[in-house]
Amino acid sequence: MKLSKKISALILSVALLIGSFGQANAAKRLHAAIADWTGGIITCEVAVAILEREMGYKIKQTVFPSGTGLWEAIAAGELDFACESWPSYAEADTVMLNEDLIYEGKVVGTYSGDGSVDLLGTAGIIGMSDYWIPRYAAEELGIKTWKDLNKHKAKFATIESGERGRLIGCPVPGWNCHDQKRLDLLGIDFQADELGTEAAAIAEAKAAYMRKEPFLLYLWSPHWFFGAYDMVGVQLPDHKVCDSFTEANNWKDCGTAAWPATGWAKDYTMNYGNPATFASAEHADAKKFFEKMSLQNIDQAKMLVEVDQNGRDVKEVVNEWLDNNPDKWKSWLP
Amino acid sequence: MATRTDLIDKSNQSKNIITYVIIGVVFLVALWLSTQSEGPSKFPKEVTDKFTFTAWVNDGEDYLKKNYRWVTKIIASYIKETYYFLEDFLLESPWILIAAIIVIPCIIAGGLRLGIYSSFVVYFWGATGMWEPSLQTVALMGLSVLLCVFFGFILGVLCSQSNRFENFMKPVLDTMQVMPAFVYLFPALFFFGIGGAPAILATMIYAMPPIIRLTNTGIRQVPAQTIESATSFGSSKLQLLFKIKIPLSLPSIMMGINQVIMMALALVVLACFIGAEGIGGQVWQAIRRLDVGWAMEGGLCILFMAIMFDRFSLAFSKDKERLPSDVQRFYLLPQSWEKYQIAKILETPLSFGNKILKIICQTVTSAIATVFKVFVSIFNKSTGENIGEFISKRYYVIPYFLVLFLIAFIDNYFLEIGTFPKEWKLSIRQPISNAVESLTVNPGFISFAKGLRAFVYLNLLRPLDVFLTQIPWWYTLAVFSALGYVTVGIRFAIITAVLLLFIGACGIWTQSMITLSSVLVSVVLCFVIGVPLGIIASYNERFRNIQNVVLDAMQTLPYFCYLIPVLMFFGGGTVSAVIATVIYSIPPIIRLTSLGLTQVSGTYSEVSRSFGGTLIQTLNKIKFPLAIPSLVIGFNQTVIMAFAMQIVTPLIGGKGLGLEVFNGLARSDTGRGLAAGVGIVLLAIIIDRITLAWTKKQREALGLIS
Repeated sequence: MKLSKKISALILSVALLIGSFGQANAAKRLHAAIADWTGGIITCEVAVAILEREMGYKIKQTVFPSGTGLWEAIAAGELDFACESWPSYAEADTVMLNEDLIYEGKVVGTYSGDGSVDLLGTAGIIGMSDYWIPRYAAEELGIKTWKDLNKHKAKFATIESGERGRLIGCPVPGWNCHDQKRLDLLGIDFQADELGTEAAAIAEAKAAYMRKEPFLLYLWSPHWFFGAYDMVGVQLPDHKVCDSFTEANNWKDCGTAAWPATGWAKDYTMNYGNPATFASAEHADAKKFFEKMSLQNIDQAKMLVEVDQNGRDVKEVVNEWLDNNPDKWKSWLP
Repeated sequence: MATRTDLIDKSNQSKNIITYVIIGVVFLVALWLSTQSEGPSKFPKEVTDKFTFTAWVNDGEDYLKKNYRWVTKIIASYIKETYYFLEDFLLESPWILIAAIIVIPCIIAGGLRLGIYSSFVVYFWGATGMWEPSLQTVALMGLSVLLCVFFGFILGVLCSQSNRFENFMKPVLDTMQVMPAFVYLFPALFFFGIGGAPAILATMIYAMPPIIRLTNTGIRQVPAQTIESATSFGSSKLQLLFKIKIPLSLPSIMMGINQVIMMALALVVLACFIGAEGIGGQVWQAIRRLDVGWAMEGGLCILFMAIMFDRFSLAFSKDKERLPSDVQRFYLLPQSWEKYQIAKILETPLSFGNKILKIICQTVTSAIATVFKVFVSIFNKSTGENIGEFISKRYYVIPYFLVLFLIAFIDNYFLEIGTFPKEWKLSIRQPISNAVESLTVNPGFISFAKGLRAFVYLNLLRPLDVFLTQIPWWYTLAVFSALGYVTVGIRFAIITAVLLLFIGACGIWTQSMITLSSVLVSVVLCFVIGVPLGIIASYNERFRNIQNVVLDAMQTLPYFCYLIPVLMFFGGGTVSAVIATVIYSIPPIIRLTSLGLTQVSGTYSEVSRSFGGTLIQTLNKIKFPLAIPSLVIGFNQTVIMAFAMQIVTPLIGGKGLGLEVFNGLARSDTGRGLAAGVGIVLLAIIIDRITLAWTKKQREALGLIS
């Protein structure tokens, strides 16, 4: 057997040598975290495509679930940057960022953490979260705002919720949506169910929509779901914050006037990266690009439909958008 | 003899009555206690506040991160380099070369049948557009299996040489297998970085136990006579080990490798959560887009891959010298089909091709052998002859490398082969998705699903949830310890009490009771569905064969794949969690029921039949009692699998300890996740030990063990 082992080693090394010739060019390299939800993937792929096409980068991409783990991985330098973080849902941003978030010249957020993660700038996407019901249910039952929900709670009830209605709530506890608290404070007699993953929540909503059953769903926009199904928001009260309002004192102070009795804030989403990487002269261009990058909701929404509805490949869709809309992104180049 | 059985019967009867009375009293007291309490039972606050296990773990983790991360980084960088090397090789080489590397060994080891199957598998990877992820999974799995076998073999040999080391390793191995992988997947990330390295290390934790166990038992089972005769010829301890014991235990070790491969494949899919590429990532992405068909394609890629590696490693472990392709007649279809004309038409050209292939291989090899022989003989005649003989014997291996070399050569100098051709695409996504969607809106099916959901929730889950969480903790603890005492002994009773106290002190008592309740409900459902299926299978062979295939598929398909259909039919929540658990953990109970019933030898049932027993009577009075040990083993495995599934159910709305693990991970709070993970492990271990001890007693009572 020894002989055949040697022969196999020889062949392997020959094949490897040939393989390695192909990649022997020195490009600037970055390691990107690709989100695990389509909106985030598109934003990231847009950034990656521009860096690779226009700025001579070679980007290694790793799909990584969003959450505190991702922030820690970036602080540790395992990954260089990540895209489209939603401030309402991130827990780590207040601890790790130390910069102002600027959108079109206005300061929309201030952070004073330890600076272990670098705020690269806004991604451009402005996110909105709300509770939604399908249009057929809204019209049939005459529900206009959240105030009308109680009257029809029996229609929204399931086996588990009993007499109360059911909200397919914010799926992940780590996102800090405080759904049940909000429902209780607003006096909506519904039970919020955390289903664990976005996929679970959407799967149930999709099935209910296909069967034309009424359901109340928490969701953020832009999201492909709105492209496929006709949903209307229940118009939760506008977002308000109250300073002495924390989870620790159980939101006793401000009553129903402020978060979480209100809806979500507008989410000016942001890109973030490893401070050491983006401080280096080699990547100064990339840093400038991220400062200027601003993808609009409408553009992302169009690509979302292409990818999730028509089942096309993300990279193909992104490249097509870049080819057809150079005016939208040429100005982001440093 | 007759009087003795009578006596035993009587004592058994009175014993049974006492047991039932005790169980009834215990249950009634529990019921009374649970109605007394308001809300779930809680551990005393003073204890949970002082016992800050989570904080200790987190401090420990921080300390390790600060001071020893450089060590882990070095280890990780070696693994990473090797992994990238392998991955690059697999992805950058022309696809025919990779296909040949995989397919030809399958032909050599398993004959043309396995060869054809493996080329179908390779085609399926490419055709569904999963060429790259499949090869990434192969690379991850291959490397982890290699490392597992290397370290597992060493540890197994050590275990076999020292009883003390074996006793130390046993609980460690148990924990490695039951501990939910999610618990160490994420900490592994922070020590070993992103991607391949932590995935491979986590896989090693999960998949190493079988090879350690089987190496150990294999060496220990070498017959004493053999050892004695070897010692009498004056071999030293080391000689004995390496010349006698290890070679004799090779079949057992090969069996271990086979199991390692299967387990590694199961975990590599999960590794997508820490940034490792591969099919797991594809399936997960498909699920996020609710594309059932895509998820299923990914699942099938894994399933086919698993079957291929399983058959390959089994074929290899059978016999090293006799290659099946030499001796066996080739059958593509089951042998019982030989009477059909179609089978003949299909098989004749194939077996003819097989023969021609063999002749070509032999000719080429003997030609090469002659060249070598003549060439070497110029220098040294006997070496030349030896080499010639050596080569001509391996008339499958030599052409293999020749083919590989040829492909690499053509690719480099003549035409570039590149990656898998896109024109050969095959997609089964749409039909699967359509089928699921039409079921989702089918009123009959949905009302059935809703009815089932209501039944399970209202009659099983909710009452049990309320009951278990509301019984005071000290009562539950006492009941479990008593059970431990009765079945195993006083030592285990104390251990049970300590373990349960630990769970309580971590402040996760309520969650663990919820987990226990959903496991119990799932197991009951498994029993109700599984035992009848097993009975049918034991009577009808065709049904059994079909069922076995389905069960194999259920066990190897990544469980992500069926989560989405379950959600669409049943809606998210605890009921869906239970249903997913049932799907995952039902195979052992079906299998072992049918196994137990078929093993009961025909004479017993014939005797019973000749005395005029009806089918039901025979089943009830003869077959079942004799099949009980096998049934209990199935039950035991089902329980363990149901516990393992608890870590996944939070993805679709499950509650309890699994959700705690996820919450810990989402907040990067390792302590919290670990406490909950340990909770699952402890519950599983307690129940496992109790049922195992009970099985042993049953076997003894039946006289199966002296």
